Amino acid sequence: MKFSPSLFDVRNVNFTRGDNEILKSVNLTILPGEYCAIIGPNGGGKTTLIRLLMGLEKPSSGTIKLFGTEQAKFREWHRIGYVPQRSALVDATFPATVREVVAMGRYARRGIFGFESSEDVSAIEESMEQMGVADLRDRLIGHLSGGQRQRVMIARALASHPQVLIVDEPNTGVDVESQHRFYELLRVLNKTKGIAILFITHDVGVIAEDISKLFFVNQTLLLSQTPQEMLRCDSMSRLYGTPAHVVCHNH
Amino acid sequence: MLEMLNYPFMQRAFIAGLMIALLAAMSGSFIVLRRYSLLSETLAHVSLVGVSVGILFGLSPLWMAVVASLIASWLIEYLRSVHGMYSDSVLAIFLSGSLALAIVIVSLSGSFNASLFSYLFGSILSVSNDDLIIMGLFGSLSMALLILFFKELYFIAFDEEVARTSGIRVTLLNFMLVSIIAVIIALSIRVVGTLLIGALMVIPPVAAIRFGMGFFTTTLLSIGIALTCVVAGLSLSFFFSLPSGAAIVLCLLVAFIFALVVNRR
Repeated sequence: MKFSPSLFDVRNVNFTRGDNEILKSVNLTILPGEYCAIIGPNGGGKTTLIRLLMGLEKPSSGTIKLFGTEQAKFREWHRIGYVPQRSALVDATFPATVREVVAMGRYARRGIFGFESSEDVSAIEESMEQMGVADLRDRLIGHLSGGQRQRVMIARALASHPQVLIVDEPNTGVDVESQHRFYELLRVLNKTKGIAILFITHDVGVIAEDISKLFFVNQTLLLSQTPQEMLRCDSMSRLYGTPAHVVCHNH
Repeated sequence: MLEMLNYPFMQRAFIAGLMIALLAAMSGSFIVLRRYSLLSETLAHVSLVGVSVGILFGLSPLWMAVVASLIASWLIEYLRSVHGMYSDSVLAIFLSGSLALAIVIVSLSGSFNASLFSYLFGSILSVSNDDLIIMGLFGSLSMALLILFFKELYFIAFDEEVARTSGIRVTLLNFMLVSIIAVIIALSIRVVGTLLIGALMVIPPVAAIRFGMGFFTTTLLSIGIALTCVVAGLSLSFFFSLPSGAAIVLCLLVAFIFALVVNRR
């Protein structure tokens, strides 16, 4: 594969559904090891942007390259870990243990005839340990708390040894304490493992530290800048389309 | 009790029944978890159209059932996945539509009611050696595909979207699964009958899920329930001269009630 420094390279992407223009003229680049967040109002196209990156939607026009390869020709999906919105909302009776769910992260690598190799076993164990869910391995996923399920879903994404982790609104249905632990976890993964992170959030205060790039999305990519530049009143007003006042606190 | 196995027709019924139980329980786990349970019932009605056409034109009812069921399964999956129609609506249309078509064909000929009865409710007397050979061939192929793609089908049942983004060919596997189910249903009609095969596919996984275990263990338990109920149902059918399909389904209901009572929450 041709070497390319960018993990995602989005050029002039437009996306319409019927007569609705969901996203227009979006350009963005994500580099290895970056810690990025997407913010924006509800209905602004944040999730659509992620779905376009993951190939779940096709752009009306424009190009998306993953690891330097045209998206249509890209096959190494195990290099991208994806945790969609509300993925932690699992049917309580679904017959899946934590271990079985995390093992799914290795399926694409194993191929049709592949049995679970020692490499698969160690990757599954390692990601469960990393996310602190190893002790829950035999529990049904539906019997866990929202925060625990969320960690299992991240463990599944990590089991494929991705180079980038995409998380869509990770804290839906999760308590405040778990939210803080979760953001800390993302930071650790980024710093210690060098995994690039891209996540959608509404919690702009929590993400102010450590973020290398912030994307403001409201139908188009309004701004792409550092948190310090973003957390100014004029930037916030431009994004949300209403006067905004930024208050800093110590939490 | 084992003297019933001295009869060749019972030997054939047991071989066919156990084969169907294994296949139905295994494939049924995937459709139950995907809230697609009525697929089996719908395809069973569609296969009745194939049987009617077969009897009317002097063709093999079994082969015609396979063809009708396969075509319908592809159409259903196409409408669901490509056109984004609600699966329960698509199934309702095919279920009632195919039954209407079968009734029209039956009324046009008006000469094969007795024969049709065995296809509706199953008959242990009707399984021939040729049926066993066809079942063996298609059953082995279906089982091989289910085993080969077991983990991918499980991933799709758990989270279709993430399965797709991890590189699994979801659309292709969905079509493969409905095709396998279509074939299993068409092959099952001799023993269980078109109106009752849905129960053999749905009740064992639903009962097994009540025990709150992982997917692999749940599938094994589901297969165990289906095999046990087929043996019990065929035995009851032999000793009490009952239609085999109805006897098997009643045994499945007992298993389901047992699972429900044991796992009260």
